Amino acid sequence: MDLVIRSFLAFVFVFAVTRVVGRRELSTLEPFDVIMLVVIGDVQQGVTQSDYSITGILIVLSVVTLMTALFAYLNFRFPRMRPFMEGRPVVLIDNGAVIERNLRRERLTVGEVEAEARQQQIVSLRKVRWAVLERNGRISFIPDDEADASIFDQAAL
Amino acid sequence: MGVKGVPKQSLDRSLDLELRGRGRHALYRRLALGVLGLIVLAALLGVFGQESTKTVAAGQRAVLSVDAPPRLRGGLLFQARFEVHARRRLAHPDLVLSPGWFHGMTLNTVAPTPLSENSGEGGLTMSFEALPAGQTLVVWTDWQVNPTNVGRRDEDVALFDGAEPLASAQRTVTVFP
Repeated sequence: MDLVIRSFLAFVFVFAVTRVVGRRELSTLEPFDVIMLVVIGDVQQGVTQSDYSITGILIVLSVVTLMTALFAYLNFRFPRMRPFMEGRPVVLIDNGAVIERNLRRERLTVGEVEAEARQQQIVSLRKVRWAVLERNGRISFIPDDEADASIFDQAAL
Repeated sequence: MGVKGVPKQSLDRSLDLELRGRGRHALYRRLALGVLGLIVLAALLGVFGQESTKTVAAGQRAVLSVDAPPRLRGGLLFQARFEVHARRRLAHPDLVLSPGWFHGMTLNTVAPTPLSENSGEGGLTMSFEALPAGQTLVVWTDWQVNPTNVGRRDEDVALFDGAEPLASAQRTVTVFP
């Protein structure tokens, strides 16, 4: 009886939170989210201590949800904060040439980039015009046949 | 429904592009976030526990004060402190805790250890050594709330010298689910 009520309430609350927090926040699993997911199980005991109550769940989830919504709003409202909150992309390949310095900075090997390229049906990095390590940790590849394309801000050139 | 009997799953220009009927969704989301904000604010203000409050009951021969949280949540560890200040000598100071103290609660420790403990209809009686006039007896108790213990109940404490009632502190505790 007690377990049914508790799990029902927890389900309803988590469902409501996922609707409130905004789909963009839920659709991307960025490095921060992964760490949060892994760590939150361990952190939970430090946060709630011996609290086994539904009220405790409600309070903790409310705080996490509000923080998520607040960070999303700050990120949207203040563009200058984006590099701090999301980081910036890093170009790994420029016109087919691997930029070793950028790979070292991100602790990536050429082999890892090649493996990512193969998963996107790209046989050789020489066929890549640009490869970009995106904010979410994924690598985007722009093939060499996109002759007129540019990934760089034209206004900044 | 698109083709008869087949649920429509594709995009709808009116609903999904012009967002007809969805104009207030953002407002609803903000309201929901506001509710969450109120929950957090209430928690910060201690509505859901577990800040301690002090209740003082003064009698002619002694003053009894009880320091314990009036609001708790399942599983919480907490401390309740009972202070007895003797205005005159108490030969047989007895603290009587009403049954509400023990309903769905686990008493982990009592310090100092009572000379004797007796359970009756009025609750649990803990007897201590004689207390000279002007002295204060401080009894520390550590508890844990059983997670299934939900509701509101009396947590009264009475001070006796033998059979003579000296002071009584009326308190309630609310345990959130």
